[in-house]
Amino acid sequence: MTTAVHLDGITKRFPGVVANDDVDLAVERGTVHALLGENGAGKTTLMNVLYGLYSAEEGRVVVDEVERHFDTPRDAIDAGVGMIHQHFMLVDPMTVAENVTLGSEPRKWFGLAVDRDRARSGVDDLCDRYGFDVDPDDRIEDVSVGVQQRVEILKALYRGADVLILDEPTAVLTPQEVEGLFEVFEELTDQGKTIIFITHKLGEAMHAADDITVLRDGVNVGSVPAAETTREQLAELMVGREVLLEVEKSPADPGPEVFAADDIVVRDDRDVEVVSNVSFAVRQGEVLGIAGVDGNGQSQLVETLTGLRQPTAGGVSLDGVDVTDHSRRRRIEDGMAYIPEDRHEQGLVMDFDLVENGLLGSQHTPPYANRGRVSWNRAQTHAEDIIEEYDVRPPNAEARAGSLSGGNQQKFIVGREFARDPRFVVAMHPTRGVDIGSTEFIHEQLLGLRDAGAGVLLVSSQLDEVRGLSDRLAVMHDGEFMAVVDPTDVTEEEIGLLMAGERPDRFPEEGEPEPSTAATDGGER
Amino acid sequence: MSEATADAGSGESTLGNTDGRLLIAGGVVGAFALLFVVGTLFPDSTVGTLSYLLLQPGPWSSMLTLAVPITLAAVGGIFAEKSGVINIGLEGLLIISAFTAIFAADTTGSLWVGFGAAILASVLLALVFAVVCIEFRADQIIAGLAIWLIALGFAPFAARIVYGSPNTVSLTNSVPAVRHAGIPVVSPVFQTLSTTNALGPAQALFRASPSVYLMFGVVALGWYLLNRTNFGMWVRASGENPKALDTSGVNVHRVRYAAVLLSGVFAGMGGAALSYNIGQFTGSGQTMVNGKGFIAIVAYLFGNYNPVGAMLSTFLFTLLEAIQNPLQTAGIGVPSDLIGTLPYIGVIVVLALVGRTRIPEAAGDHYETGEDR
Repeated sequence: MTTAVHLDGITKRFPGVVANDDVDLAVERGTVHALLGENGAGKTTLMNVLYGLYSAEEGRVVVDEVERHFDTPRDAIDAGVGMIHQHFMLVDPMTVAENVTLGSEPRKWFGLAVDRDRARSGVDDLCDRYGFDVDPDDRIEDVSVGVQQRVEILKALYRGADVLILDEPTAVLTPQEVEGLFEVFEELTDQGKTIIFITHKLGEAMHAADDITVLRDGVNVGSVPAAETTREQLAELMVGREVLLEVEKSPADPGPEVFAADDIVVRDDRDVEVVSNVSFAVRQGEVLGIAGVDGNGQSQLVETLTGLRQPTAGGVSLDGVDVTDHSRRRRIEDGMAYIPEDRHEQGLVMDFDLVENGLLGSQHTPPYANRGRVSWNRAQTHAEDIIEEYDVRPPNAEARAGSLSGGNQQKFIVGREFARDPRFVVAMHPTRGVDIGSTEFIHEQLLGLRDAGAGVLLVSSQLDEVRGLSDRLAVMHDGEFMAVVDPTDVTEEEIGLLMAGERPDRFPEEGEPEPSTAATDGGER
Repeated sequence: MSEATADAGSGESTLGNTDGRLLIAGGVVGAFALLFVVGTLFPDSTVGTLSYLLLQPGPWSSMLTLAVPITLAAVGGIFAEKSGVINIGLEGLLIISAFTAIFAADTTGSLWVGFGAAILASVLLALVFAVVCIEFRADQIIAGLAIWLIALGFAPFAARIVYGSPNTVSLTNSVPAVRHAGIPVVSPVFQTLSTTNALGPAQALFRASPSVYLMFGVVALGWYLLNRTNFGMWVRASGENPKALDTSGVNVHRVRYAAVLLSGVFAGMGGAALSYNIGQFTGSGQTMVNGKGFIAIVAYLFGNYNPVGAMLSTFLFTLLEAIQNPLQTAGIGVPSDLIGTLPYIGVIVVLALVGRTRIPEAAGDHYETGEDR
């Protein structure tokens, strides 16, 4: 086997930081190589050096056993290196063929026109060769995220890429689409292409890669064949200390019911029914998990519970009081905290500093506000308290929220919401896109709040997370609860089947699960 | 109407656009048909007068002539905005080129030199706008307003210096209509067709000045450039997702400069055509351009960034204007101020209700390579 890419002693400095410190990386032709590390470990920087977006202060870039100097991505593309960024670089209203050929359009009539037939057939040929099911005439805005990613891969292949770099390719995909992507990896490597993908998810690296290189704080801390390592070893390499992959928690000691949803029906913005007759109750001191593939009504369900959306039927109650018609503001005042699924869109105002962000949701209540006048001193102290208690870095209340890493943004949101001393917490994807260290911390905080007597509703598409944290686990499919199960008494396969909408024999259809019955089930432990 | 609106809202966005606009086109055709039917049945009513007037070539001829500067500016505006730079300064480009055309033609005695000078002036002003917006990252709306105000101040000022009044002299020579131009074969054919009564209002097509045919040519060229050439693809990509274009190895700044300068070229042609048609530049008040650049923006929004759509929208506006004088002569008074607001009311209705216009995603945003991600 030959070496397709060899990075030799790459050092890249930014003002104040060494992003890559003498990093070596060797990738064999025709293999899948995972670049694993926490957020901010320097993975993307290293790949940007290989792709010509950054030039390194020290070190050599060797592609196909020839030393290269890439000043721009164009040089890298010409040498057969293609990169698929985390945020797709696609033009939504244009067709697949137009996007794939953009900047390298085949022309006819002495360059006076784009040869659209040739563009189309070129894309078709690539699709045939690599087994992609993509129609060159579809508009990007009409196809799924998974297909958009295929288009990005086609773009690189069309430009003659032999080495494909993918930055966090699974972050935006559903579990099924992730499987599909890994099949594409196999097809590509079978035909001699080389793949480097960046990830912070251990499972993916183990599952899809032939070799794994772990970066930590800009340093290569180990390269190992995937077959010869364990998740625990990789986690320790990534974080630099031993990590508890399994959440350790004491048995729940549930108290009286704190929150209940009664037979709610929700329609989405297009007036399609996305939540159908869902009922459940959450008691003090327990975590109710909701597992399911994204897009099965979880978002709309959570929006309904938190007061961002009105149900078309049914109601919700907090401490036995019907709050269906209560505003979001009133729900916050009554002790409902909310960690939203998208911290960029819903959790933080990225252009505000942490003082202002820490105030959100409390901006009209004492002690932070008095008759419309905000006490910025108290707000400042409040933000600093959150930063200290929840270990937000950098520890600077004046920092813009957008300048923090994802993990630190999320820790700040968790801190802000928990500082309300809530009786009931709705947490949706609380650790999505968050590094392992912060994930562990957020999990501990959620369980700590539970032990202090709050009710927690946890919605997540990551099975490990919901299984590990929940005392009772509901599985949602197509707007309905398939079953409410004891997470310690169910196999991953069974949950997978329920998530896919199939019902294993031992989970008979419960017509309308009585909240109290379901509650006793979980309470046995 | 309400049914179709609902369709447009819930269906695919592109389909919705087409539906809504076809509906408007259908509505206009239907209204004309109804007008003629009612007009034939009651020849002495107001409707009867109107339908009689509309069967004459006169109003249609005016409609075409009035549409030239607006359509040309609109096609230019489409290129700028599709590339991500909203050129609200079209009005200013029309003013500066209208003045320059007269000044240069008067000084040199050549209409061709005047035409070229008008385009040059407009392109230079567009270049200022482009540099300020693209290089120095000024707000496009504010910079565009500045371009308008600069031209609005400068053109009458220059006229006062040269001619001692905000209005220029009248040109002694003018552009002849094609049928009078003495071109072998072509002119006689046009002359015959323009007086063939069987053609009805379509006679207007053969009475027009060359600028009308220039307009048709530019509309066709603009459509082709935008939809069939790689430059057009780059322009569209630059306005929707400049990062995608940049990572594909195309220089976004260059594409945007080209698009804005192109808007200067087309608007310059429009300004020259306007003043050659009148034979003089009048610089008092809003000058003789009098909002045509803003109507152009309305027209291309109405036409959903399609040059052909922009031209048809312009026809709709200018026909309303063209029919006013003959109506007044026929004793039917129409408040012209009110008619003047119709395009703007129309565009609000279209933008808000019918098959929403799709504004380029990155229009109004600056783009710098390597910033953020």
